Amino acid sequence: MSTDLQDFRAEIRQWLDREAPTDWRSAATHDAFVESQRAWFRKLVAAGYAVPHWPERWPGGGRTLLEQKIIYEELSRADAPRLLLPFVSTYHAYATIGECGTQEQQERYLHAILDGETWCQGFSEPNAGSDLAAIRTKAVRDGDHYVVTGQKIWSTMAQYADMCLLLVRTSTEGAKQAGMTYLLMDMDSPGVTVRPIHQIQGDEEFAEIFLDEVRVPVDQRVGAEGAGWAVAQATLASERGLTLMELSYRMRGALTRIARQLTEVGRADDRGALRDLGALKIRIDAVCALADQFLRKRMNDEEQIGDASIVKLAYARCLRAYADLGVRFAGLDGQFHAPITFGDLNSGNWMADFMNSYAWTIAGGSDEVQRNIIAERMLGMPREPKSWTAEVAA
Amino acid sequence: MSEMRQTLEDSARKVFPNWEAARDASDAWAQVAQLGWFMVGVPEKIGGLGLGDEGLAIIFAELGRALVPGPVLTQFLVIEALVAGAPFEERDGLLERAMSGEIMTASLAIGGRSSEAVMDADKASHILLRREDVVALISQDGAQVKARETWDVSRRLFDVAVVDDAQRYVVARGQKAAQLNDRLDTLLCIALAGDALGGARAALGLTLDHLKGRSQFDRPLAMFQALKHRVADLKMMIDTADAFYADRTSQSLTALEAGELKNFCCAVYRDTVEDAIQLHGGVGLTTEYAIHRFFKRAFLNCALGGDADYWNERAGRAAMAESQAKA
Repeated sequence: MSTDLQDFRAEIRQWLDREAPTDWRSAATHDAFVESQRAWFRKLVAAGYAVPHWPERWPGGGRTLLEQKIIYEELSRADAPRLLLPFVSTYHAYATIGECGTQEQQERYLHAILDGETWCQGFSEPNAGSDLAAIRTKAVRDGDHYVVTGQKIWSTMAQYADMCLLLVRTSTEGAKQAGMTYLLMDMDSPGVTVRPIHQIQGDEEFAEIFLDEVRVPVDQRVGAEGAGWAVAQATLASERGLTLMELSYRMRGALTRIARQLTEVGRADDRGALRDLGALKIRIDAVCALADQFLRKRMNDEEQIGDASIVKLAYARCLRAYADLGVRFAGLDGQFHAPITFGDLNSGNWMADFMNSYAWTIAGGSDEVQRNIIAERMLGMPREPKSWTAEVAA
Repeated sequence: MSEMRQTLEDSARKVFPNWEAARDASDAWAQVAQLGWFMVGVPEKIGGLGLGDEGLAIIFAELGRALVPGPVLTQFLVIEALVAGAPFEERDGLLERAMSGEIMTASLAIGGRSSEAVMDADKASHILLRREDVVALISQDGAQVKARETWDVSRRLFDVAVVDDAQRYVVARGQKAAQLNDRLDTLLCIALAGDALGGARAALGLTLDHLKGRSQFDRPLAMFQALKHRVADLKMMIDTADAFYADRTSQSLTALEAGELKNFCCAVYRDTVEDAIQLHGGVGLTTEYAIHRFFKRAFLNCALGGDADYWNERAGRAAMAESQAKA
């Protein structure tokens, strides 16, 4: 590694030694966790480490791939909290508005993100999950506004968001994808109601959003009317790559939790257990290599259709295997309730980790959807005929 | 893709477009020697091509893809022992003969258990003897060799007993022997990992061809989602192995790192062929279809070079030590 990069690593390590919060694991409520996220994001922005993946004209942007990798490796090493609250803002909102937004929209929203304005994503609906194009939330044009009515679900931290990336239906004519439009909605508009969802592990990371004749100005539309599906692809593509690399390395670092668990239960010399630990260690190393390779491909514009599905599926399955082994080694102890650690997928609270791992096997395109993409688009296996409802109707 | 990779893969695919092209062991051997593959890992100053482990890694995967038979992997081990060991008077001559294709063999077991799984010992001029404190090349007439029939017919394995007064060239002794044994284990594991990766890709390809070509219930098997998902999982694991292999073989590895790689790639190969037979259905159980050849080689690979339990346990102990060091 070059001296420059070594210096850069030393610089960020020193900064983290000084500034990284150490008390974030003890947040007793989701609200307290969110507050700690806001404070941590402010510090990262000020130091220039918050948005290394943004272009150079932004403070802290324009980092090379290797520099970004170093930042995430050091964050993971320092056991600093992941950025969850500003995640949608700095990845999804940034990518969508940066790639497809007007100059005006970019001026208005991107600066605000660095000032702490947070975004949520309003894509999924109760009847449009894996089949996203089936959304029904309706937007009707009324002068220079759209009037939006419907319901969104699985929106991460929507109860804390200032703005929403909203996918709506403006037409029911023709293909399902063709009638979709992309809007940027103020969360404090009249008619918006947010209800947090109580999750099985005790968190409230997701929320439902109810929309009752919400007025959204037409100049807050991204892309043309009816072009929402294409804009949504830019949003969805933004969260892979760096995120998966960061998460893979964090899981690798958290392997020590399983090793400690094994010691705690007095099985440090149990050959069967050691073999399972070893197999997991090897698998995580392999997934880290895959995430690295994917990021490199993306940066070099060599990414192929399906690559993102492969890396997401590989990480999600490995994360499940991680939690699974932890639960097994914890035995009965693991079945007694312990307070959860907000924002950590590899916390060592094994039942909570196991339940949290579904966030990656279901959200952002479930494992089953990824497998279809891999089979049909990478391996050329033919699609099934049109849906049975269409055939029955015909 | 690097130029070296392109060149090596292109020539491999021209000579061995598929497993059938490599079916005849003695023809395949002559082809491999002619391609200059035995020179790939040898430094230029002693007559090789100097492409290192990275070059070898590309060849290992090609050998696995085409199920190349014969004692190719062991030839690489002997060549490496001659290169990495202490030079002796006859060394350069022996190395030259080995690079040009004179069969010299070794065991495909790791560590000191070198009396079993010796490839083509009946055809070799020399056999590499590996003990903890000494590594030596003995002439074949100083050994008693006994063939053992394997399920995988692409490889012929022998038990070897060395006659006490057999003529021998000592390659390394004492501490140097331990280092060389480590290096040979590393190379063996990289070779088996590459063989597994290449084989897994090819086995997946055959399975896809079958699923796309055969119809039941008026549709190609490849249209059934239940089967798509199984194939997608295999593809995901093979791509993961691929990235892991590329990453690790681009650096210099310890025996444990290579063993971990071997373990992962061989497990992926094994899982692939297990499902491949099932997805072929009845014809997967006939010798008319090629998939059983990959199946048998995959299982043999798992048993060679240290098995899954051995490497997983070592990796587990290393993870425990790493965690204690962090605490």
